[in-house]
Amino acid sequence: MGQKRTRDGAMAEAKQEQPSSPYVPMFENFRIELDEHHDRRERIIKASRDITASSKKIIFTLQRIRNVGVSLPEFAVKNNAQYWKTIETQYKAVSADLRGINAYRYRQITWGNQEFMESLCFQHYLETQTLISYDEAKMHIASMSGEAGPVLLTPEDYILGIFDMIGELMRFSITSMATNGTLPTGKPNKNKRFKQAVSEDQDEKIDIDSPLSEDVESRSVLDDLRELRLCLEMLDVPRTSKFYDDVEKKMGVMRECVDKVEKALYSLTVRGKERPKGWNPDVKEGEKDTVESR
Amino acid sequence: MAGQRGMVDPALFHNLQARVDEDAAVRDELQGIIQALEKHNRNITFVLSRAHSTPVARLSSVLEEAKAPIQNAVDSISKLSEAASKLPYYKFNSMWSRQVQDSTYGILLWAWLGGRSSGGDAKNGHLLTIEEVGEILKVPVNLKDRDEFHLTIEEYLQALISLVEELSRLARNSVTLGDYERPLLINQFTKDVLAGFQVLNLKNDTLRRRSDSLKYRVKDVEDVVYDLSLRNLIPKQSQ
Repeated sequence: MGQKRTRDGAMAEAKQEQPSSPYVPMFENFRIELDEHHDRRERIIKASRDITASSKKIIFTLQRIRNVGVSLPEFAVKNNAQYWKTIETQYKAVSADLRGINAYRYRQITWGNQEFMESLCFQHYLETQTLISYDEAKMHIASMSGEAGPVLLTPEDYILGIFDMIGELMRFSITSMATNGTLPTGKPNKNKRFKQAVSEDQDEKIDIDSPLSEDVESRSVLDDLRELRLCLEMLDVPRTSKFYDDVEKKMGVMRECVDKVEKALYSLTVRGKERPKGWNPDVKEGEKDTVESR
Repeated sequence: MAGQRGMVDPALFHNLQARVDEDAAVRDELQGIIQALEKHNRNITFVLSRAHSTPVARLSSVLEEAKAPIQNAVDSISKLSEAASKLPYYKFNSMWSRQVQDSTYGILLWAWLGGRSSGGDAKNGHLLTIEEVGEILKVPVNLKDRDEFHLTIEEYLQALISLVEELSRLARNSVTLGDYERPLLINQFTKDVLAGFQVLNLKNDTLRRRSDSLKYRVKDVEDVVYDLSLRNLIPKQSQ
């Protein structure tokens, strides 16, 4: 910027000729306001990046889990504690910047929110084999925000986070099929989800589900993927919104993910017929790769 | 709503869909107001564009005529303000920011040409402050503590850049009309505005890109003044 100006000789001259344009005081006020705005924006972008990075690490750890619908194994809890802490620190740091009128002004936080949703949804799923509700997720972020007020999680952030989570469920399923030769499947007992549910804020959820039926069939991850796919495909988003573009982009990826699991299960079923009972595929990286690439 | 049997609570997506629908309805309502505003802005530009072919002495009738479309724009913005103040401002402001900029620009140009001065002294060269524009539009400016409709600094600055662009054109057309004085006024004004913009620390955004082009507009005006001075056409008392 500076070079361009000095390159233009006339301009530099003009600047010296009139050091005091009558508008300079007005612009100096604007500068203060705009600087404040840019600083805030940068802080939020940085926090958003840090939240994204930590969320990804949480997901890496969670991908080493092989069961669904049970509480997190010790290693995952211990390993991820530091990342949860980082995320909380970041949310606390920016909650004042995202307060009131600024909640929608700095939507750069959406990337952090989405990635965090992905990890939160995935963890919640592994623990309870259910989808965390929007309200629960919102409250979760609120509980991590500073005293200035809860950081806003928009329905859009939440939905886009679910789309991303499907990719993780795909990876989780394929890994399980490659290593154990089975698709992860929950226990039919539905009690679990209450014990494991994320925190104390599950007020109305209990009411909806309390008539516990023991005849619930156990669901595999693929059943859940199909259900999610249906829910997401049924969403009717107006074409004029920016959200529509985001959803369209993720919809294709989401379908591919579900397809991959279906194809992998198909291969497992077809080839399983050729194998003697009790035979398990070798637990080798190569094997995993060939399934994944399909 | 039936209870949850599978992975997803059926009420969950039902509620999300309701939220999405709500937003769409709000957008539709705003869109109607914004379209009307757009039309009024075009009318302001239409009337004021005659400044390029009207000598300063007869400009007051043009400025008078511009009052009606400006008032229409103000009314539309009042409506918009009323509807939008119920909503989170920044969630929707990209919908109308452009149109509010255009209205602001129209008012800045109108005032610069002397629209606010009584008695037909049209050679005003006056720049309205953001607060003055806010008063005309009947909206607050640069709100920070309340989440309501307002005119932002960025919108005002964008309009100011548009004003400079238009004036650089007016400088040439003034000469065509035989007015050798106004280019000098414009020359001073655009330089002052540029000096103002140089005070800002702009980031790599649209404001920065457009303000970068200001120096070329200033140069355009300088060229006009240069041509005039070369031919001794500049009125003596102003030099």
